[in-house]
Amino acid sequence: MHRRQVLKVGLGSVAMALIPLSWALPAREEAAWLFSAVDDPSGGHFIAGVALDGQTRFMIEVPERCHGGCLRPDSRQAVLFARRPGTRMYVIDGDSRQLVHTLAAGEGYHFYGHGVFDLSGRYLYVTANRLEDSAGLVQVYDAENAYTHMRDMPLDGIGPHELRLMPDGDTLVIGLGGIQTHPDYGRVKLNLDTMAPALLLMNRHDGKMLARHEPSHHQLSCRHLDVAADGTVIAGYQFEGPEWESHPLICRLDTDRRFSELTLDDELTASLNHYIASVAFSRVSGNVLVTAPRGNRVLLLDAVHGNLVANLALPDAAGARCDGTGGFLVSSGQGGLYRVAPDLAIPELLASLELRWDNHLT
Amino acid sequence: MIASLRRLSLLACALLATPLSFATDTPTPREMWHGAVELQYAELSAASERLESSVARFCQAPDEVLRQRLENDWLSAYQAWQAVRFIQFGPVEQNSRGWQLQFWPDRKNLVGRKVGVWLKATDAPDAQDIAGDSVAIQGFPALEYLLYDDAMDEQALNDPNTCSLMQAITTQLADTTSALHRDWQAFGEHYLDTANYTETTLASAIQALELLEDKRLGEPMGLKGTPANGYLAEAWRSGQTVRLVESSLEGLRTGFLPGLTALLREADALPLAETFRDQLDKTLVQASELPPGLAPALDDEEAFRGLQSLYLNISQLRHLLGNEIASELGLMRGFNSSDGD
Repeated sequence: MHRRQVLKVGLGSVAMALIPLSWALPAREEAAWLFSAVDDPSGGHFIAGVALDGQTRFMIEVPERCHGGCLRPDSRQAVLFARRPGTRMYVIDGDSRQLVHTLAAGEGYHFYGHGVFDLSGRYLYVTANRLEDSAGLVQVYDAENAYTHMRDMPLDGIGPHELRLMPDGDTLVIGLGGIQTHPDYGRVKLNLDTMAPALLLMNRHDGKMLARHEPSHHQLSCRHLDVAADGTVIAGYQFEGPEWESHPLICRLDTDRRFSELTLDDELTASLNHYIASVAFSRVSGNVLVTAPRGNRVLLLDAVHGNLVANLALPDAAGARCDGTGGFLVSSGQGGLYRVAPDLAIPELLASLELRWDNHLT
Repeated sequence: MIASLRRLSLLACALLATPLSFATDTPTPREMWHGAVELQYAELSAASERLESSVARFCQAPDEVLRQRLENDWLSAYQAWQAVRFIQFGPVEQNSRGWQLQFWPDRKNLVGRKVGVWLKATDAPDAQDIAGDSVAIQGFPALEYLLYDDAMDEQALNDPNTCSLMQAITTQLADTTSALHRDWQAFGEHYLDTANYTETTLASAIQALELLEDKRLGEPMGLKGTPANGYLAEAWRSGQTVRLVESSLEGLRTGFLPGLTALLREADALPLAETFRDQLDKTLVQASELPPGLAPALDDEEAFRGLQSLYLNISQLRHLLGNEIASELGLMRGFNSSDGD
């Protein structure tokens, strides 16, 4: 049922710009793919690997819409995760362009669409929901043993979402969205009045909670985040309360792990429509990019001072990651793949594909 | 009842605080939408209160006439909700209110299971208990189960447990719809001041038509790649699926079309509004001539042809709005912006 396609994208359907061959994404020097969950125009669900030259891609058909993913260090593998409340994760081999494992969350569990490896690439940490009590968990899998499930680490909260590894290699930073859902109820949000979101730090070895920071409003769902090389964390919120209210949508842990929220001017905050999708740090500067698909824009921020570097219109801005040269790659739900950089006045369209990119680029 | 008093006094305040915008100019599309939807929410709130009273009357002196009236009041309130269901943003999103009014689809019969549990409860529930429980026990489908499900043949509708459950659900429903109406009024300033809501309103109506075509008709009719299944239809227990569809079309006619027409007039594309109106009217007439249920038509070739033709008309309506009108107005609908995570 997993149809594998390798497509040369026809020039007729693609607006191509030349991408420098010298690009090298961190930890992936050669023949690397950008991975993303995508839907095709007829609504079919796929995992796509798109070459950095924008010309070649492969697509693996999957039975459900997927969401985020992560690269396995020192390997050619990437893992992509079913979107909430999906129950599978997919291990893709970038060399063979094949699906090598499909793993299930287990009876009574579902994933939230995100995971991260430890630095050695052996252990995979995945956010999950234990349905019987709606407990948010980090599940640990052993990639060296065919991704065997090792153990669950409870988070004392509901709805964990994206997680990343801190530069110390020992600490996980986790966005706890706070939203209760149950597969029986589809995507209905079941606890909007009693949400308790947080930005969490956890020791990945023993599951000990190291810090819990609560957003300034209980309906600010803390979902997506990234970590800079110096340990600064930026996380984005999605506000689940009245849309006529205005609240900060971005929070930060500084290098001393002090928590604060970034206050942008009201008009700018309003233009984001209460919704941050992806967060991506540059690996060569202190800049961080956030995407706001409902506001059809991306913001480039100086993470240290919290000030705005650029505010660019980009339709249905979705996935984002650094390009290794101080800029960022940004995908659009409408099919475009863009490059955004501090020195560019507008996003540079690299390719326009007949695909709907989901919210994250890996 | 305190909740009712609160609602009354709020209504009085709302009447005193009528908008001050005098009709010096032609109202803008958003002004037209806000005003029309306010009337629709007001009707939903009023119909829900009538339903609440109807339950009380029936339970005090149960007879066939009052039961019939209760069923009618349930259907009119449910229809009032269908009429304004194309608004999928703003106060209806708060606390998942749309789901509170109508939990559907219900593939696992959670409604039946929840009702079963509450009917056996030793303490009679009140509206707060219902508000604190799952969306499956709130709103119209749970009431439909009590009124129509085969499992209720064993239990009289005026049984004290059934009555107190109906009472609690309808009071919670009346509270929710009253708050929805009040919040929509308060939302007015923000809605009118924020230009993006023009696109939001259009996108919301397109989504409502897609839901109609794909989920409310296509899936139960077996037109979406899976076998026909009458239990996937809304209101299959009462056999009112097509009546609800008709109400949604009527709601677009009264709540959405005037603002759309004004918008297309501004864009110098009035003929598109007329085409949409004609297609909507044609579809409405057709829906009103069909039998009320969907499930029975699955075993009746002629009735099924009627449904197919309704489906095609709705599909055409969706195409007009989602493709032709949207592209004329430059509406870009996002993938992640409409359903991200």
